[in-house]
Amino acid sequence: MASCRRMLLKVIILGNSGYVNRKFSNQYKATIGADFLTKEVQYEDRLFTLQIWDTAGQERFQSLGVAFYRGADCCVLVYDVNVMKSFDNLNNWREEFLIQASPSDPENFPFVVLGNKVDVDGGNSRVVSEKKVKAWCASKGNIPYFETSAKEGFNVDAAFECITKNALKNEPEEEM
Amino acid sequence: MIADGVEDEEKWLAAGIAGLQQNAFYMHRALDSNNLRDALKYSAQMLSELRTSRLSPHKYYELYMRAFDELRKLEMFFKEETRRGCSIVDLYELVQHAGNILPRLYLLCTVGSVYIKSKEAPAKDVLKDLVEMCRGIQHPVRGLFLRSYLAQVSRDKLPDIGSEYEGDADTVVDAVEFVLQNFTEMNKLCYSACQSFILLADPELRLAVGLSGLQGPAREKEKREKERSELRDLVGKNLHVLSQIEGIDLDMHKETVLPRVLEQVVNCKDEIAQYYLMDCIIQVFPDEYHLQTLDVLLGAFPQLQPTVDIKTVLSRLMERLSNYAASSADVLPEFLQVEAFSKLNNAIGKVIEAQPDMPILGVITLYSSLLTFTLHVHPDRLDYADQVLVSYCLKLYNAYSHKGACVKKLSGKEKLEDKKATKQIVALLSAPLDKYNDIVTALKLSNYPRVMEYLDSETNKVMATVIIQSIMKNKTRISTADRVEALFELIKGLIKDLDDAFHDEVDEDDFKEEQNSVARLIQLLHSDDPEEMFKIICTVRKHILGGGPKRLPFTVPPLVFSSLKLVRQLQGQEENPFGEEESTTPKKIFQVLNQTVETLSNIPAPELALQLFLQCAEAANDCDLEPVAYEFFTQAYILYEEEISDSRAQVTAIHLIIGTLQRMHVFGVENRDTLTHKATGYSAKLLKKPDQCRAVYACSHLFWVDDQDNIKDGERVLLCLKRALRIANAAQQMSNAARGSAGSVTLFVEILNKYLYFFEKGNPQITVAAIQSLIELITTEMHSDSSTPDPAADAFFASTLRYMEFQKQKGGAIGEKYEPIKV
Repeated sequence: MASCRRMLLKVIILGNSGYVNRKFSNQYKATIGADFLTKEVQYEDRLFTLQIWDTAGQERFQSLGVAFYRGADCCVLVYDVNVMKSFDNLNNWREEFLIQASPSDPENFPFVVLGNKVDVDGGNSRVVSEKKVKAWCASKGNIPYFETSAKEGFNVDAAFECITKNALKNEPEEEM
Repeated sequence: MIADGVEDEEKWLAAGIAGLQQNAFYMHRALDSNNLRDALKYSAQMLSELRTSRLSPHKYYELYMRAFDELRKLEMFFKEETRRGCSIVDLYELVQHAGNILPRLYLLCTVGSVYIKSKEAPAKDVLKDLVEMCRGIQHPVRGLFLRSYLAQVSRDKLPDIGSEYEGDADTVVDAVEFVLQNFTEMNKLCYSACQSFILLADPELRLAVGLSGLQGPAREKEKREKERSELRDLVGKNLHVLSQIEGIDLDMHKETVLPRVLEQVVNCKDEIAQYYLMDCIIQVFPDEYHLQTLDVLLGAFPQLQPTVDIKTVLSRLMERLSNYAASSADVLPEFLQVEAFSKLNNAIGKVIEAQPDMPILGVITLYSSLLTFTLHVHPDRLDYADQVLVSYCLKLYNAYSHKGACVKKLSGKEKLEDKKATKQIVALLSAPLDKYNDIVTALKLSNYPRVMEYLDSETNKVMATVIIQSIMKNKTRISTADRVEALFELIKGLIKDLDDAFHDEVDEDDFKEEQNSVARLIQLLHSDDPEEMFKIICTVRKHILGGGPKRLPFTVPPLVFSSLKLVRQLQGQEENPFGEEESTTPKKIFQVLNQTVETLSNIPAPELALQLFLQCAEAANDCDLEPVAYEFFTQAYILYEEEISDSRAQVTAIHLIIGTLQRMHVFGVENRDTLTHKATGYSAKLLKKPDQCRAVYACSHLFWVDDQDNIKDGERVLLCLKRALRIANAAQQMSNAARGSAGSVTLFVEILNKYLYFFEKGNPQITVAAIQSLIELITTEMHSDSSTPDPAADAFFASTLRYMEFQKQKGGAIGEKYEPIKV
């Protein structure tokens, strides 16, 4: 069913982010609530509209909760390759998402993992190895993994193409 | 609103979701078959579910999010429709036929988003139209969500620079205008929400409007506060959107955005909203903007309601700026250029003036944030740090004089506040120590001691402990008497009872711990230069002598050992390279030591004083100062005779005396005779016979010293041992008389061992016959009818005999010596 509804994909970004801002800044700016943006992606000759919810922010500015997780087609988990804690948090993010969004088939819900800020200090301050994160991704049902730099725009398009592909795999939830 | 309101709310939410999904289903069918009329009809019905007033903001948000997702599909459909040739202007008209205002406005916003994208009308006109039409909803929750919907769908269509929607007529100004207008309206809605919440908390008003009074007003108020705090992020979101608009440069932020936002914040007159919005402003805008607009930003604080929690907001601002400064040295010139420090310092002063009821905790929090800030930004400007301390001093002084005499009588809550305040003060005063890792720098802050002055004795002590810990952690070298003077002035809370201290019950362990840390500190003070070191010792001495009887036993010993260390250092050097007069000599140090230790005997702590006198005597011995050593011994003996009366303490003391005296080599025959004679006399006068016996045979060593050829008086050794034997005999008889059974033979075996010791050392007075008869004596005693069985003594004797057997078999000179003894 090539309905227009399937051209619209809802993506949730969790973790150490900064993807949706067109201009990336390393500077800290808080997000109030979730940031909402749309992004158009060309995939297999069709134009898809990604409806992106980005949650980078402090908990004290998330007073209304995470009802926006519901109905997501793909969840993107982002960590900073230079901060071990952000990698350690991936598991929490994933579990928290599955609980809150309660997708119909949590086992096969599409995730994508992004390792961000690979460009910082020429990669010298990196603390999470690619091998380590890939092992984690494999253990969670072969989650696709990308290394990116939002600042330089490195690999971001490829990542979003993969996000689109994976989101499409998610069967639409018919709640009626 | 009845008691099980939560359950009911779940039901209402479920019903809302069901209604929404049903209509969404029909809407999907209409979308799939490109039926615009049905799509509009069902979407409007679907959106009607958002008209409910029964849900709390949290639950309403769940419903809203489902509608939001469905509206995205509708938006896609509208987009397709325009591609198929349907005019967007017509669509914009068409959706206005929806019967109910709330669904109508949601649909308008949705079409409006497509309208802007189509570029058929300038974005600013569409946005302006929408933001004004939304005025139609004045219900707080519904209105806030509708407007946040508008903010969300327009979020990426704002006509900012670099955006594809920028028309000729559109500028960043329009985008800012739009967001500000939406923000203003939402702020009003949020305020009226809070007003209605307050009304609803009034029980009489509740009855008047037909609400149950069953729920307590307090609980109701709490609930309302919670709901309000849930809503505020919807308002704050606008500030985030503003911060994301690309085209806003510093000038525009400074001239338009920030003043307009602040105007709104000031006008809303609600303390909680003001607090929240200021917090948002500080968090969402970039650091360099804050730095360049400090005047504007700080100027708003005194205009806020007097009860706003400004200290938290202002502290967070300083925290952000501190982190910014720490992030890169490149940004530091900016701080200097805008005179950030003095601006913040002034602002704090004004805020405190504007809020006379601010608790002291708030004042301290503000100044410790400022101090952290200046330490990060201007680590080289000690004068700034000092200035913070001055301002702080003044405020603290005012606060205390204001409170007057009732400072000490605090209620429970105030006491808690006071504890928090104490914690903050300690944090404030610790900041320079942490930053410079070095008390020496902090000692240069002339106002540091002044702040310490204002602390109550408890806090003063805590702070003093922190200072000592810092010194020990960083192994800070404090090597001049001036600095030691300044340091002890700072930590005087630990060194003596402060005048104003009222004597609370001090926990014994805590006291010990803090005094032990002072003791450790004293050990750490060191200068390689003996002159300076001597000055340090005198300075420390001056301070600790006023410490009183409880502290002196902790503080005098480390000072004594520190002094003795200096003595030993001098001992290795050539005597008086600069002439006797001014230079530090062991003699001089010993004089000071004598007086220092003497203070302990006055406390009284005679046992400790005796030990220290003996330590000094030994040091004087090593310096070949006979008269000094003799004097110390005399002091020790006087203490023994006059102060030490406890029999156990006497035993300990006499053994210390004997041990020390045995090692002395400085004494001439006469002095030595006097001292040994006395020691033997004391020994024989102990209370218990066994103690007498043991002390007396120990005295035998005073007459026979291995490495001193002139002290080998075999006869007096034997006299001691014989005397010990007589005492052992007497002990035996006394035991017989008192208990009807003889005591153990342990003492005899011990004496036998002494005999063997001197026998091996070649003392001619100790003969084989004497040893032989002693063995027989012990054997007889052991087998006598009246003896008490004592396995330990038997084993001791047996192993002594085994030892002799072993020596015999060893052969050689020793073997020969032992040969005649029959075991």
